[in-house]
Amino acid sequence: MSDIQDVTAEVPARRQLRTKPFSLADRLFYGITKSASSISVILVAAILLFLLSQSFATFQTQGFDFITGSQWNNAKGHEVFQIGPMLWGSVLISILGIIGGVPMAIAAAYFIEFMAPKPIAKVATVLVDLLAAMPSIVIGLWGLYVLTPVVAHWGSLLYGLHHVSMGPVNFDIPIFAMSDGSVPSTFSGSPFIAGWIVAVMIVPIITSVTREIFSQMDRDLINSALALGGSRSSVFMRVILPTASGGVTGGVLLGLGRALGETVAIFYVLNLVSDINWFNILQSKGGSVASLVLQKFGEGTPNEIKALMAAGLVLFVLTLLVNWLAAVIVNRAQPWRKI
Amino acid sequence: MSQLDLTALPRPTKQPWQVRNPRNTWLVAGASVVPMFLAVVITLLTNIDATLATLLVFLPLQLIASIGVGQFIFGKKGRGDAILVIFTVFFSTLVGVLLVSVMFSVVVDGLKAMSPQFFGQNNHYISSTTSLEYGGVGHAILGTVLIVGLTTLFTIPLGILIAIYLTETRGRMRPTVRTLVQAISGLPSVVSGLFIYAFLIAPSFSAHGLTQQAGWVGSIALFPLMLPTVARIAEEALRLVPQELRNGAYALGAPAFKAFWQVTLPAAKSGLITAALLGVARIIGETAPLILTTAPSNDTNLNPFVGQIATLPTYLYGYINQVQATSQQRAWGAALVILILVFVLFTLARVLGSAKSTKAKKRK
Amino acid sequence: MENIATSASHLRSEDVNVWFGERHVLKNVSLNFPSNQVTALIGPSGCGKSTFLRTLNRMHELIPSAGFAGKVLLDGHDIYDHDVDPVDVRLNIGMVFQKPNPFPTMSIRENVLSGLKLTGRRGYNAAELVETSLRRASIWNEVKDRLNDPALSLSGGQQQRLCIARSLAMDPEVLLMDEPCSALDPGSTRRIEETITELSDSMTIVIVTHNMQQAQRVSHQTAFFLAEDGNPGRVVEFGKTDDVFNSPIDPRTNDYVNGHFG
Repeated sequence: MSDIQDVTAEVPARRQLRTKPFSLADRLFYGITKSASSISVILVAAILLFLLSQSFATFQTQGFDFITGSQWNNAKGHEVFQIGPMLWGSVLISILGIIGGVPMAIAAAYFIEFMAPKPIAKVATVLVDLLAAMPSIVIGLWGLYVLTPVVAHWGSLLYGLHHVSMGPVNFDIPIFAMSDGSVPSTFSGSPFIAGWIVAVMIVPIITSVTREIFSQMDRDLINSALALGGSRSSVFMRVILPTASGGVTGGVLLGLGRALGETVAIFYVLNLVSDINWFNILQSKGGSVASLVLQKFGEGTPNEIKALMAAGLVLFVLTLLVNWLAAVIVNRAQPWRKI
Repeated sequence: MSQLDLTALPRPTKQPWQVRNPRNTWLVAGASVVPMFLAVVITLLTNIDATLATLLVFLPLQLIASIGVGQFIFGKKGRGDAILVIFTVFFSTLVGVLLVSVMFSVVVDGLKAMSPQFFGQNNHYISSTTSLEYGGVGHAILGTVLIVGLTTLFTIPLGILIAIYLTETRGRMRPTVRTLVQAISGLPSVVSGLFIYAFLIAPSFSAHGLTQQAGWVGSIALFPLMLPTVARIAEEALRLVPQELRNGAYALGAPAFKAFWQVTLPAAKSGLITAALLGVARIIGETAPLILTTAPSNDTNLNPFVGQIATLPTYLYGYINQVQATSQQRAWGAALVILILVFVLFTLARVLGSAKSTKAKKRK
Repeated sequence: MENIATSASHLRSEDVNVWFGERHVLKNVSLNFPSNQVTALIGPSGCGKSTFLRTLNRMHELIPSAGFAGKVLLDGHDIYDHDVDPVDVRLNIGMVFQKPNPFPTMSIRENVLSGLKLTGRRGYNAAELVETSLRRASIWNEVKDRLNDPALSLSGGQQQRLCIARSLAMDPEVLLMDEPCSALDPGSTRRIEETITELSDSMTIVIVTHNMQQAQRVSHQTAFFLAEDGNPGRVVEFGKTDDVFNSPIDPRTNDYVNGHFG
C-alpha cells in the first residue's frame, strides 16, 4: 500500500475559506461586539468633528494668533481670544513636573525593585499604585494646603540665587528672577508650585510603569553582570537603564500626557494671567489651558465657548501626539506590552 | 546583551552585596549618621534653614563619606555604588515623604470631620461657618453613586464588548478600534466635560441649549474617561485566557458564542470584574467634567435626570478654597471619603487579581 | 491488522496545500485514512504534520492569514464545501491537543459533559455518559470518587486522558491527536497508547507523534512528512507501519526512522 506522493503535480487553486459564522447566535455575537466597537469609532469621530466645527470660527477669526497671542477679551465688538500664555503655561508646568518627577520616579522604582526588603517593597508598590489612582482633586486639596507653603519656601530660597554677588562669586540665574524685577512677598501661584504638584501626580504613574518594566527584566542577566564583578552602579548604567529606557520613556510620556490635561489639581494653586511667562518659574503668574476652560466657561459668551472649544481641541491634539509617541516608543522597546 | 547566557559560569555563593562584616556595617551606617549629626548641629548653632542644611550640609557630607567608605570596603567600584545608593535613597525618601504626606494629611484632617452625620446629612442650611456637628456629604455620596452608577451601567458592557471584539473576533476594524480607544484615553477630562457642555448645555444648537445641567449629563461626560480604562484592562484579561482553551472548545464543535460564554468568559471573569472596578475607580473622583455638566446642590437629589445634584468631587471643589476652618475640614472630610472609596475599589481589584494569578500559576 | 468493526467513517485528503500568509508550508498532501485504522504522522519538527492534522477538522482556519487548497473528504463529502459549517465538521472529527487543556473553571464531570453543553445537545443520560467516556479513556477508576473536583486537581497524564474522555463523549467518527503524549511521563504515555488501541475498534484515529516507538506500537499505517530547505512540507513516504519502519523505499525515511536526523 506504499503510495509515494506526486509532488511535481500542480498545486490546486487556493480556496476561499468562509469566515462568516453559520449559526444565528454567532452572527449575533459578532454583530453585537462589532456594533459596540463601532461606537468607539463613531464617538472619536463625533468628538473630533464637533470640536472642529465649533472651533472653526475661532481659528478663522483669530488666525494663527490664537496660539501665539496673549489677549483674551469677550466684550462684544472687541472680541479677542488668544491662548499663547495658557498653552505655554501648560507646557512649562508639565516640563517642570517631568524634571522634578522623573528622577524621583526612577529612583523609587529602582529602590522598590532592587534594593528594598520584600515587605517594604510590597507596601510601597501598593502605595504607589493606589496613589496613581488618586483623583486629582484630592492631590489638589493637599497641594493647596500642605505642599504650597513648603514649596513656596523652597521658592524663596531659590529666589536668592537669581542674583548672587558675594565677593568673587558673581552670577545670575534668570529663571529664578521676576520678569519685572519686583521683589515678591509670597511665592505662591507660581508655575514652580504647580510643577511640583504635577510632579507628585505623575510620580506614581511613572514609578508604576518603570517598576513593572524593571520587574520584567531578566534577573539572570543582572545577577550574571553582578557575579562577573560588575558594581551596582555600572549594572544600573550599562544594563538596567539601556534595557528599560524605551519603556521608561513611554511611561514618562504617559505621565506628560496626564500633566498636560491636568485641571483641578492646579486650578487654585496657579495664578492664571493672560500674559506669557516664558521662564520666570517663581513668579506668581502662569497659565494652563485646562484651567482657562474651567475659569471661563461659566459666564462664557457663545463665541467665547467656541474659543474654549478650540483651546480644548489644541490641548487634545497635544495629548494625542504625546500619547501616540508613548505608544510608538513602548511598542518598539517592548512589543509584548501595549499601553 | 540579553542573548548572553551566563548561567553556565560558576557563581559566587554569596552575592557581592552580601559581603558584609560588622565593621563594614558600622562604617556604612556611620557615613550617613555622622553627616546627619553634623547637619543637625550646624542647623541648631547657625540657625540656618533646614532645607538648606539638608541640601548643602547633610547631602554633600554623606556623599563624600559614603564614597570614602565605599572605596575603603569595595575598592574602586564602591565609589560608583555609593553615589547610586545615596541618590536612590534620597529621591526615594522624597517620594515616600510626599506620598505618605498625601495619605497622612487626608486621613488625619479628614478624620476631624468624620461623624455619623457627616455621612448621613446633606448640606442644607449649612453655611461656610456652620459647626461640623451639622451637615455632611450624604447627598454627595448618593449623587456620586447615582452618576457613577449610571455611567457604569452603559460603559462597562460597552467596554467589555469592545474588548471581546478585539480579542475574540477577527473583525477587520480591530486596529482602528484599538488605536481610537487608545486615543480617547488621552482625552483631557476637562475637554470631555467641555465637549458635553458645549453639545448639550451651551446654546450651540438652540437658543437655550438642548438641556440643563443634570446628573445624566455628567454621566455622559464621564463615559469617554471610563471607556478606555475598562476596554484596555478587559482586553488584557481576555488575552490572559490561553488560546488552547478556546481551541479545546472549538475542537469539540462549539460555536464561537458558546465557546466564549462557557469557556473564555468564566476563565476571564475575575479579570473582567477587575476591569470594571478599576474603571469605576478611574472616574469616581473625576471633578472637572462634573463641574461643567452638573449644577451643585445642597440638597439630596435622587433623580439623576432632572435638577441640581451634588457629588463628592464637586462638593470638595466647592469647599476647597474657603477660608473658614470648618469649610476646609469639610473638604478634607470629602477627600477622605473619596480616598476610602478608591481604596476599597482598589483592594477588591487587587484581591481578585491576585486570586487570578495564583490560579494561573497552578495551571503551569 | 484488519479490524472487524467498520462503523467509523473514513477520511481522505486530496492535494492538501497550506499557506500562512504567503508562506507555502504544505504541498499536495494526499492521504487515505481508512475506517478503524490508526494512522501515525511522523517527521522532524516544522515539517507541517501538525498543521496538516489541523486541516482535517478545520481548526487550521482559526489561525489568521491561513490559506488552504485541496480537499478533505469525510465519507466522500468535502468538508471544505462552501455550505459546510466548520462547527459541524468539528462535531464529527474530534481533536486532542499536545498540552492537556481541560477547562479550568469546570469540575471533572463538567469537563466530560462540556462538549454536549457547548453544542447545546439535550436528551442524554449524563451519569451514564460520564462513566462510559471516562472508562473508554481508561481513567474512570482513578476519578470515579471525585467527579466534582476541579479538573486542574488532576495530574498531567490524567488531565490528558480527561481531554480524551471529553472528546469521546461527543462520539466522534474520527479522532485527531496532536502529540498527545509529548508532555507526559512514560506511565501515562503507556495508558494513553492502550486507550488508542482500544478506541480504534470504534473510530478512525490520526496521531501526530515524535516518538518512533509509539508510532510502531499504536499505528497501522504511517506517513512520513519532510520539509527540505525552505520548501513546503510534503509526504515522502506513506504505507503500512511495518513497511515504513522496516523496509522504507525512500532513503530519507530510512535515515529518519533510524534516528540519523530530526
